[in-house]
Amino acid sequence: MHAVGSLEFWIQQLINALGLGSQYALMAVGLAMVFAVMRLINFAHGTVMMGGAYIGLLLLQRGLPFPLVAAGTILGAAALGVLMERIAYRPIRGAPDVALLLNSFAVAVFLENIAVLLFSPRSRPFPMPALLTQVFHPWGDLFIPSIHLWAFGGALLALGGLAFFVTRTRIGLAMRAAAENPTAAQLMGIEVGKVTLLAFAIGSAMAGLAVLFWVAHIGTVQPGMGFEPVLKAFVACVIGGFGTIPGAVLGGYLLGALEIFLQGLLPSAVVGYRDALVYAVLIFLLLVRPGGVLGHGEAERI
Amino acid sequence: MEKRSGSEMKAISVRQGWLWLGRGLGGLLLLGLYLVIERGGNAYLQRLSVLFLINLMLVVSLNLFTGFTGVFSLGHIGFMALGAYTSAILTLPVTAKAANLPDLPAPLASVALPFLPALLLGGLFAALVAGLIGIPILRLSGHFVAVATLGFLIITRVVLINAEAFTRGTRTFAGVPPYTTLSWAALWAALNVYIAWRLKHSTLGLQILAARDDPWGAQGVGVAIGRVRLIAFGISAFFTGVAGGLWAHFLTAFSPNAFYFSKTFEIIVMMIVGGMGSITGSIVGTLLVMSVTELLRNLEPGVTVGTFSIGPLYGLSQIGLAVLLIFLTAFRRQGLLGDREFRLEALIERTEDWIREFRVPWKASSVREADPFMRR
Amino acid sequence: MRPLRWFGVLFLILILAAAACAPGAAPTAAPTGPAAPASPTAAPATPAGGAPIRIGAPFNLTGGMASIDVPAANGARLAAEEINAAGGVLGRPIELLIRDTKTDPATAATVVTQLIEQDKVVAVIGFNDSDYVLAAGPICQRAGVPFITVGATSPRLPGQVGDMLFLAPFGDNVQAAVGAEFAFEKFGKTAYLLWDKGAEYTTVLAKYFKERFTELGGTIVLEDTYQSGDKDFSAQIAKVKALPQQPAFYYISALPDDVGTIVKQFRNAGINGPIVGGDGYDTPLLLQVAGPAAENVFFTTHSLLTADSPNERVRKFVAAYKQKYGTEPEAVFAALGYDTVYVLAEAIRRAGSTDGQAIKKALESIRDFPAVTGVINYSPQSHIPQKGVTVIEVKGGKFTLAAERVPQKVPAP
Repeated sequence: MHAVGSLEFWIQQLINALGLGSQYALMAVGLAMVFAVMRLINFAHGTVMMGGAYIGLLLLQRGLPFPLVAAGTILGAAALGVLMERIAYRPIRGAPDVALLLNSFAVAVFLENIAVLLFSPRSRPFPMPALLTQVFHPWGDLFIPSIHLWAFGGALLALGGLAFFVTRTRIGLAMRAAAENPTAAQLMGIEVGKVTLLAFAIGSAMAGLAVLFWVAHIGTVQPGMGFEPVLKAFVACVIGGFGTIPGAVLGGYLLGALEIFLQGLLPSAVVGYRDALVYAVLIFLLLVRPGGVLGHGEAERI
Repeated sequence: MEKRSGSEMKAISVRQGWLWLGRGLGGLLLLGLYLVIERGGNAYLQRLSVLFLINLMLVVSLNLFTGFTGVFSLGHIGFMALGAYTSAILTLPVTAKAANLPDLPAPLASVALPFLPALLLGGLFAALVAGLIGIPILRLSGHFVAVATLGFLIITRVVLINAEAFTRGTRTFAGVPPYTTLSWAALWAALNVYIAWRLKHSTLGLQILAARDDPWGAQGVGVAIGRVRLIAFGISAFFTGVAGGLWAHFLTAFSPNAFYFSKTFEIIVMMIVGGMGSITGSIVGTLLVMSVTELLRNLEPGVTVGTFSIGPLYGLSQIGLAVLLIFLTAFRRQGLLGDREFRLEALIERTEDWIREFRVPWKASSVREADPFMRR
Repeated sequence: MRPLRWFGVLFLILILAAAACAPGAAPTAAPTGPAAPASPTAAPATPAGGAPIRIGAPFNLTGGMASIDVPAANGARLAAEEINAAGGVLGRPIELLIRDTKTDPATAATVVTQLIEQDKVVAVIGFNDSDYVLAAGPICQRAGVPFITVGATSPRLPGQVGDMLFLAPFGDNVQAAVGAEFAFEKFGKTAYLLWDKGAEYTTVLAKYFKERFTELGGTIVLEDTYQSGDKDFSAQIAKVKALPQQPAFYYISALPDDVGTIVKQFRNAGINGPIVGGDGYDTPLLLQVAGPAAENVFFTTHSLLTADSPNERVRKFVAAYKQKYGTEPEAVFAALGYDTVYVLAEAIRRAGSTDGQAIKKALESIRDFPAVTGVINYSPQSHIPQKGVTVIEVKGGKFTLAAERVPQKVPAP
């Protein structure tokens, strides 16, 4: 047994923060990618996660082995993202940011209610293989759920892969160019439409990967399950500086740490204010560093 | 309006008689509608009408800030919550306070105010909070204001849940006296619309609109953008708070869960449908969205047409609303009215032109100029 | 001229909408009669003849409350169909008008007004949360229409709404008292208390538990909260593990959707002591999500709802529900919805009429009514049923009966 404030307690909370932060980072990366190319805060990102999870569940119920279920979840989410871009966002490209944001709200409401009609609103169990749900007890009272390791590894791999993709491949460079300046990119012969579609596909595949780990952590799927994660991802993106992938990852880890340590250290009389403090930090950050902790330069102000 | 030449300006003054006739007719129509609903004894229609008027206040107020300044607020429902809780705490009878809010601090525990002062204080409290958070937040640029006000909404909810001595936390705040009647709601909604209209067409309103359309230019001619935005924010929060108070005394029971994303989404949809920056648009948008929602909701339990029947489709109204919004952003992004207003003057001008055209067949161009949706 | 065309379309839609909203024109608002379009949610009137008895059934079928309210609505629908298949009530079929109120109190009030004013329902059943009961209740009270809430368990409700309101479940104070007394005797004097601060049911349950447990002489060694929507409990768990000494048991007040997740994460961290909770635990999700980790979990609920229950009524209900909806009852609210319709039907039968006051009086006269969720007693003094509380233990991967008790002392509402 170890007391609050002991070294072991801190190490345990650090592990928890890294685990939760990895989850948030994975969710935030997809959101940031879409934002980078389209300046769209895609609130339907959480709905993509939900859709991927239900596709995975359907495959699981068909009796498919888990690797295929996992692949189906990721590909399903990617397909959903592509469809979404084609049907809902393509027609309004270039609209003001706020119109895009609202449209994504509408898409989220639409898909969530479709899911309610298709699958009923009840939670369903999503059994995961032991590989994802077992827990390690390295020493003493410490415990490391393997899902934390998976999420951590997943986040690293995703970040590394993305870094390689956007700096070393032609299409990745095109994507960055389109994000930087769509008009100039178009003039240089980059098909912005295609690049946007690809960003949606990759970002949504990330959502599929994130939801696999998320579902392994919570054990159920439900039509409304995307709402909280997308808020967290959104906050992570803002903290890290919107639209940059390293920023999203860092923001995810900072948000995870903030939540875990506030929950762990606040006395029980005020622990209910945890989320208020998290968002107060967010607003404070917006005021002093509007470009996020990784942002460079002063953001535009009036 | 600005484009109009001198001769046309004169033409308007000639039509003053028509104008007053139109205003009188419109007023009579509204009064008649009010009497029909008020005396008609259809409680369902009355409920919907009160809800319509409260939603209208919320939409007009949001439009007064967001539509006029071009800066998006996702936190207005937080002001509604503040107005609702403040006024409800103030009007709650002392005995009910002893039973439901035993830990309420002394001065509040022993007072029970009448409706009007409680509403005003609710609105003022919302405006005060708006002022406090507005000073730092409104200096940010558009995108970030949306994020910060979203944070405000979430913080408000967390505080309401945790300040149990004042709000009972998540437990339902019940026993609020049912003071809100159709007349109260109509009076406040009319006042809100009137003030928003006057504001839009005042010097301050012109400054706000100028700051939206060309921030640097406006600054150049001496508009203090932060200050005018803050004033719009405060007035908007005041009326949102009053609307919250009306809502609280209409439903008589609520909890922090009522003031969250779904309500925010609903109000924003109404504003977008009508058109950002248009007050008459807000009226049209609120009416349209509520009608569509109510229509679809009545279809949800299932319809039978002859032998063909559709099973229950719960969630249809949300889906319908989402589709409406998606179509609107794709095909008519500025909303139904954009930021134009439906003006009586224009309508009369149009009618007169139509009469004139009737006499002189070849004068199509004047019809186009006299479009009732006159450009600003 | 583009704006004009839009205006025309808009106008058309408005007229359509107005037509649909106008009293009497709505598809559900047509007066009873052979030409009236039958709502498909109502069970067909097979053997029973005569004009159907209309019962309003507002539930939050979409939005945040949906996963709780949908099973309740399903249970109610099942009961109505069974009653109609058996000949209806007073020789007339029951027509259950199930309506979605979208987890929005304003919609709840509108819908109930419409049910009473236009559909002329004789009684209203529904809702599993006080927010909606308190928004809709006063409307029923003013109209003199009896209202039985299916699952809202705050014991203050009858006092807040009036004498037309009845509860189908026991009050939270009763089950919390039984939980405290049972755990105090069985496990010991120290407890850890965790509850969901974002929901009313979990907050009220935790408060009553704490009140009764400390009154018995127990100590809460650590109190912690989370917010509905939180799915990661590792920070809370680390705090529990940092306690100098583990408590005798862990009282966790959670909603059905979160129960499995919480138990799983606590057990994974190596916390193996008894976990105690309320009727939110009465969902198959507990076993499906937590699996073997659910062993040594105890909870208070209405009755043991398993397919092999010794109670024939329960067995019949579980089998019928599974046959109709293809799944076991998702939560105890399904059984409560089922019971509510049966209790109401019994009251209408006893009243011999569909008059609101007569139904209310008949409800107050109900004694020892055998329901799936226990034996229901009402009286003019108490509109909250005096039921025994069942304590269930998870053993061998199944729900088993641990105790059936009435509390020695109930905290004041």
